[in-house]
Amino acid sequence: MSKYKKRASFIPFLPFKSIQSSIFFTFSCLILVTVMVISLNSYHLSVDAVETNSQSYVQEIIKQVNSNIQSYIDNMENISILAMTNKDVKYYISNNSFISKSDRRPYEKRISDLFQAILYSRKDISAIMVFGYNGFSVSDRRITLLNPYTKLEEQSWYKEAKSKGGQSVISPPHVQNIIQNEYRWVVSLSRELKSTDGIRGEGIFLVDLNLSIINDICNQINMGKKGYVFIVDNNGNIVYHPQQQLIYSNLRSEQISRAAAAKSGTSFTVDDDKGKRIYSVQDTNFGWKIVGVAYTEDLIANEGTIRNSIVMYAIIGILFSLLLSLFLSYRMSKPLRILQRDMKKVERGNFDVRTNIEPINEIGQLGRSFNLMLAQIKNLMQEIINNQESKRKSELMLLQSQINPHFLYNTLDSIIWMGEQKKNEEVVLMTSALAKLFRASITKDKELVPIRVEVEHITNYLLIQKIRYDEQLEYEIDISEDIMHYKTLKILLQPFVENAIYHGVRNKAEPGKITIRGCEKDQVIIFEVEDDGMGMTPEQLEGIWTIHDKEHRTKTTSGIGIGNVNERVKLFFGSMYGIQIQSEPEEGTTVTITIPKIKE
Amino acid sequence: MRIQRATLLMTIIFIASVVYIILYFKLFIPTPEQERNITVILKEHNIHSDFWQTVSAGAEAAAKVSGAEITITGPLQETDIEAQIRLLEEVLERKPQAVVIAPINDDRVTTELNKIQEAKIPLVIIDTPVSLNAAPAIVSNDHIAAGMQAGKVTLEQTANHPKSVIISDFVTSGVSKEREKGVHKALLPYTESVYGTYYCSDSEERAYMIAKMMMKDHSDLNAIIALNESAALGAAKAIKDANKTGLVKLIGFDTSIYEIRLLEENTLNATIVQQPFNIGYLGVQTVLDLLDGKRVKPVTYTNSIVVTKENMYSQENQKLLFPFIDK
Repeated sequence: MSKYKKRASFIPFLPFKSIQSSIFFTFSCLILVTVMVISLNSYHLSVDAVETNSQSYVQEIIKQVNSNIQSYIDNMENISILAMTNKDVKYYISNNSFISKSDRRPYEKRISDLFQAILYSRKDISAIMVFGYNGFSVSDRRITLLNPYTKLEEQSWYKEAKSKGGQSVISPPHVQNIIQNEYRWVVSLSRELKSTDGIRGEGIFLVDLNLSIINDICNQINMGKKGYVFIVDNNGNIVYHPQQQLIYSNLRSEQISRAAAAKSGTSFTVDDDKGKRIYSVQDTNFGWKIVGVAYTEDLIANEGTIRNSIVMYAIIGILFSLLLSLFLSYRMSKPLRILQRDMKKVERGNFDVRTNIEPINEIGQLGRSFNLMLAQIKNLMQEIINNQESKRKSELMLLQSQINPHFLYNTLDSIIWMGEQKKNEEVVLMTSALAKLFRASITKDKELVPIRVEVEHITNYLLIQKIRYDEQLEYEIDISEDIMHYKTLKILLQPFVENAIYHGVRNKAEPGKITIRGCEKDQVIIFEVEDDGMGMTPEQLEGIWTIHDKEHRTKTTSGIGIGNVNERVKLFFGSMYGIQIQSEPEEGTTVTITIPKIKE
Repeated sequence: MRIQRATLLMTIIFIASVVYIILYFKLFIPTPEQERNITVILKEHNIHSDFWQTVSAGAEAAAKVSGAEITITGPLQETDIEAQIRLLEEVLERKPQAVVIAPINDDRVTTELNKIQEAKIPLVIIDTPVSLNAAPAIVSNDHIAAGMQAGKVTLEQTANHPKSVIISDFVTSGVSKEREKGVHKALLPYTESVYGTYYCSDSEERAYMIAKMMMKDHSDLNAIIALNESAALGAAKAIKDANKTGLVKLIGFDTSIYEIRLLEENTLNATIVQQPFNIGYLGVQTVLDLLDGKRVKPVTYTNSIVVTKENMYSQENQKLLFPFIDK
C-alpha cells in the first residue's frame, strides 16, 4: 500500500503497474493529440487554401460576366450615340412640324431603315425606337403600332431618361408593352435626345435588349451545380435573380442588402442552413451589381477527398505510431523485466543467476552492478558456510581434546599408582583437580568464559601434570589481575600447555619449566605459553602449521592441533587475532596468543 | 483491478478521440449527397403552355438548389390521358427515387399512382389534388383562398355593393367548385350579392351568351366573376358589346395574352393569378424532403395574386403575367 502511494504521488496521471504501460500510455496520448492537432490543422489549411482559390475563381467568373453584360450595355450605348448623332433623327424630332404625313414619311423610312440595319446585325436587340416630344415616334418596324392602353409618359424608362437629361438610363428587366401585341422581356436603355444647341430635350431614344441575353450569360456560367448569378441595383432592388418569384413570395431569402453594401471586387462568405457559399460582387458602371453565388461544396469537389485522405493518413499514422510505441515501450522496459525476472530467481534462492543485459545504458550498468553484488554475496555466503564448517570441526576437536582418553588413562594410572604408594594426599589433590578439569570442560554451553575460569582450568591441568611428571615439570602462571574479568575462548591455553609438556619438557633430560603469562597490551590481551624445552627447528615449526592439512588430520592423535586453535581464534575474533610461535632448538618455544578485549 | 482501470481509462480516451475525429468531420462537413433523381410528370409539357413551363422552371430551380437530377416529362396536351398513363407506366419500370406529378383527373391515372405508392416511391401530387389509398403529399394552389380573393376584389370594385353572377365551366370541375366556394365565402355577408352560378362548358361563346343574358336580366348587375379563362373572355366580349365596360366589373382567373390585353383595356378589372413557379418549386422541395426522411405537411398551399391594371407591370406581377421562359 505504501508502495502504491509513493508511486501515485510520483506520477498521479499514470496509475500503471508496469513501465511498459506507462510509456505506452504516454506515447499514445502524445501521438493521438499530435496527430489530431496536425490533421485538423492541415485539413483546415487545405480547405482554406482551396476556398481562397475558389473565391478568386468565382471572382474571375463574375468579372467575366460583368464584362459580358457591360459589352452589351456598351453596345446599346453606342447605338444610342449613333441615333443621337443621326441628322434624320434630329430633324424628325426637332420642333419643326411637318405639314403632312407624307412629309414625315421619307424621314420615318430612312430612320426605320437605319434602325432595322442595326437590328439585323444584332440579334440581342429587340427594338429601337425614338419618341419625339412633338408626338412623333419611329421604330425599327415599318409600321409602328403603339399599345393604345400604354401611356408613354408613365413608363419608368421614359420618365427616368427625361429626368436624367441626356444621360443614358438602364432599366431593370421588364416587360416592354409599348408596342401593340408585343410583350417582351427586355432591358431598356433610354436617353433624352437634345436639340442641336444641346439645351432642350426633344425626345426619348429607346433600345431594348433581349433579357434572354442576360439570362443566358447568367445561366451559362459554371459555378458548380448549385451556383448562380444575380443582379441588384445600388438601391438593393433585385434586377435579376433566377428565383425572383420565390423571393417575392418569401419562399426564399437572399443576401441582398449585404450584396448591395459590398464593394466591387470583394466577396463574402455566408454559412447557414442552405450551406456554405461564397458571394462575389462586381460593380458595373451603369449601377448594377453582379453577384455570383457559389457553394463551396460544389467548388471544392475534392473537399471530401482531402478530408478522406487526411483521415486515412491520420488513422494510418496513429496505428503505426501505436504499434511503434508498443514496440518501443516493450523494448525499453525489456531489460528491466529481465532484471526483475533474474532478481526474482535470486529471491527464490538461486544465487547462480547472472543477468545478461545488452545495452550499456543505466539499466545495463544496473545489471552489471547486480551481477557484481550477486558474486559478492555468493563469496560471502561461501565464506560463511566454510567458517561454520571449520568452526564445527574445531569444536568437535576441542571436545575430543577435553576428553582425551590417553590423558584420562594416564591420569587415572597415576592416581592408581599413587594410591598403591599410599600417597593419599596426592591422590586426593589429583582426583579433585581432575574433577574440576572435567567440570570446567563439560560446561560447554558457553564458548566464551572469563579468563579467570580459563586460568583455573589451566591451573588444574598443570596441577595434574605436575603430579604426574613431578620433578621433571615446573610451571609458573602469571596472569595479570586486570584482565581476569575479560572473556576468552574456553580451553584456549590447554593445547599449548599440553604441547609444551609432551613435545618440549617431557623429552628433556633436565627438568623443564612452563611459564604462562597473560596481560593487556595495546588494547588487546596477550597470553604467552613459554617452555624451555626441546624447541623446534624451522622445518618442524612449519610442520606444526601444516599438520592439519586434510590428509594428516586423521593421523593426529595427539589432541588438538595448533593450526586448529589458531583457526578457532581467527574465526571467533577475526583475522587480526591469532597465534604466533617462536622457537629455537634446544632453547625452547614461546607461543603468543592474541585475543581482543571482550567485556563480560 | 488497477490495470483494469488503467486499460479502461486508456480505452475511453482512445474511443473519445476517435469519436471526436469522426464527429468533427461528420458535423462540420455534410457528407456529399448521393445523386438523387426525381421525375416530374406534368399535365402538359409543351413550350406553348406558359403555366406548365413555369411549373417546370420552378421544379428545376428546386432541383438545382439541392443538387438533384431532375427529369421533366408530360403529355403534349392536357387532355391526353393515355400519354400520361404511359409515362406513369414507364416511371414504374424505371423506378426513380421520387416522383412529382400533376395528375390528369382520371381513374386510370389514379390506379397508376396507387401502384407507384405501392412500389414505395415517394410521391408528391401538385396542382390537382387526387385521393389515393395512402394520402400523398399535395402541393397545390389554394383555390378557395383564390375565390375569396376574387370575392374581395369584387367588393372593392363595386364599393361593397356587389350584384354579381358567377360563370363557371363545368359542374364537375373541382377547381371551379373551390373557387366558387371561396367567392361565396367572401360575398356571404352581403345579401343578394350573387344572382347565380352558370356553366359555360369551357366555351367562350356560351359565356358570352350567359353574360349578355345576365346583363339584360339584371339591370343592376355590376360584376361578373369568371372562374376560368374562356368564361372571362366570353364575358368580356359581352360587356364590350353592351358598352358596359367599367359599369360591369369583370373579375377573372388565370392569365393569358388575351386576358392581359383585356386587363390593359380595363374590360377585365382584375384577375386572380396562381404562382406556377412556386407550385413546381414546392413540389420538388417536398419530394426532396420526403427523400431526406423529413416530415412534410400533407397539403402545401401556394398563394394567388390579384392582378389589376395598376399593378400588372410591377416587378413582382409581370413575372407572373409574362413568365420569362428561355425558349
